[in-house]
Amino acid sequence: MSTASTASETRTVRPEEPGKARATIGAIVLVILVVAGGYLSNADWGKLPDIFTEGGRYFSLMLKGLVQNPFSEPYSEYWSAALGGMLESISMAWIGTMIGAVLSIPMGFLAARNVSHPVVVQVTRVILNAIRTLPELVFAIILLLPIFGFGPNAGALALGVGAVGTLGKLTAEALEGIDPGPVEAARASGAPGSAILRWTYWSQVLPEVLAFWLYRFEINIRASAILGIIGAGGIGSVLSQAFRYREWDFIGILLFVIIVVTVLVDAVSGAVRHRIIAGSGVSDAKVEQDAATL
Amino acid sequence: MIELNGVTVRYPNGVVGLDDVSLTIPDGQFVVVVGLSGAGKSTLIRTINGLVPVTEGSLKVDGVEVAGASQRRLRDVRSDIGMIFQSFNLVKRTSVMNNVMMGQMHAIPAYRSLIGAWSADEKERAFQALERVGIVEKAWTRASQLSGGQQQRVAIARALAQDPKVMLADEPVASLDPPTAQMVMKDLQRINRELDITTMVNLHFLDLARQFGDRVIGMRAGKVVFDGTGAEADDAVFEEIYGRSLTADDVLPGHA
Repeated sequence: MSTASTASETRTVRPEEPGKARATIGAIVLVILVVAGGYLSNADWGKLPDIFTEGGRYFSLMLKGLVQNPFSEPYSEYWSAALGGMLESISMAWIGTMIGAVLSIPMGFLAARNVSHPVVVQVTRVILNAIRTLPELVFAIILLLPIFGFGPNAGALALGVGAVGTLGKLTAEALEGIDPGPVEAARASGAPGSAILRWTYWSQVLPEVLAFWLYRFEINIRASAILGIIGAGGIGSVLSQAFRYREWDFIGILLFVIIVVTVLVDAVSGAVRHRIIAGSGVSDAKVEQDAATL
Repeated sequence: MIELNGVTVRYPNGVVGLDDVSLTIPDGQFVVVVGLSGAGKSTLIRTINGLVPVTEGSLKVDGVEVAGASQRRLRDVRSDIGMIFQSFNLVKRTSVMNNVMMGQMHAIPAYRSLIGAWSADEKERAFQALERVGIVEKAWTRASQLSGGQQQRVAIARALAQDPKVMLADEPVASLDPPTAQMVMKDLQRINRELDITTMVNLHFLDLARQFGDRVIGMRAGKVVFDGTGAEADDAVFEEIYGRSLTADDVLPGHA
């Protein structure tokens, strides 16, 4: 029945099936690259199965710390050190994000083609690209540790400078994507340039830019834990000390705190970001109004 | 008074938008400009407030020369000219109030406008502008939550907040449904009559042009080919302007 219903009266020329040669070559190249990568990395692949034996042993060592009474010595100290360190890491990430956000606003405007002179755009983009190629670790080591010494100041600044690269670029791209209509309307009303930038460009990109900032905060929480390992304070510093003395139960507690807190912050931040971008819906008129005043 | 004297506009790509146009529009007149797309209607309107630069000729608004004016001078001229657009051109992600405030930005110092610190007087002026178009209760709503007709009224309020002497409207009802189009045109007419604001509207619906135009200007290929009253602008005149016979598409559906 179904074949009869789809059969057509006339029979036209069937288009030729495209060749599969390109897909095949692509797959072969991919396999070669993977094998070559494994060989060139000089890794001792013979040790790979140890993950299941040694890995399990260390995992159980770390788990031991978690199942102890957290109010008994020395575990109460471990927990308070872990939570205190995590709080310092989050503060570092937050301050770093704020520094990056504030600096990225002018950089974003300077790097947007529909705002700035082409020469300014190019120069700003080169600076932003240069910042993006360097990881926060490098900023912390070569720029900030010598100036601020070890501690969370250096970490926060390193995160801030690192954030300018991505936030500046994302802000510039958001600005380039705005609806030009309101800009024309503002120009037609005789508004000065400052008001046009603030109330047509900035108002149009604000929700996206806020979401970028929050996303960067999520990234910075992970990065701040790593920065601590090289001495920039926070839970990373605590972790590196625990590693030095091979206190596996302490390390277990630290990793647990890092994972749980990071997941929690991600969830909250993600929900806020979603709300900023999508709006809060018609049922919640008050919040919508608050957002509108931005 | 708006005076165009031999105004020619040539775009950078060589297209001639206006071809030696001379017009005088006295204060308080309600002028409708008709013509096919590409005939130069939009260019005519945008030349008056300097959004499109004049290539040759002289264009004066209340005695101030717009052709070749400096940015500073242009901003002064524009602050006296309200403009309304086909696609409303509101910032949808901010409040109606902030959108209407745009009409007063020319008089608000940067340090206050950057942080959105509007004075009580400025807010009251925005409320009054919204009152004129009957949507004062929407002042704190996000512009994105309004219907098309409401958005166009906010745009009119934004222009009114400038306290303009001239109102320019570029196809203000082209993206609205017929009853809403009627209402918006009536708003514009009422504002023209009550506040004595010289009004220039681009339209492509013939019946609206006849109904609202104290004066109808027909354009074709950048030239003025008709200039008369709405009553004089009969079908024969429009066929002349359009260079073809009229069809049902030329009138507002469900209206004429």
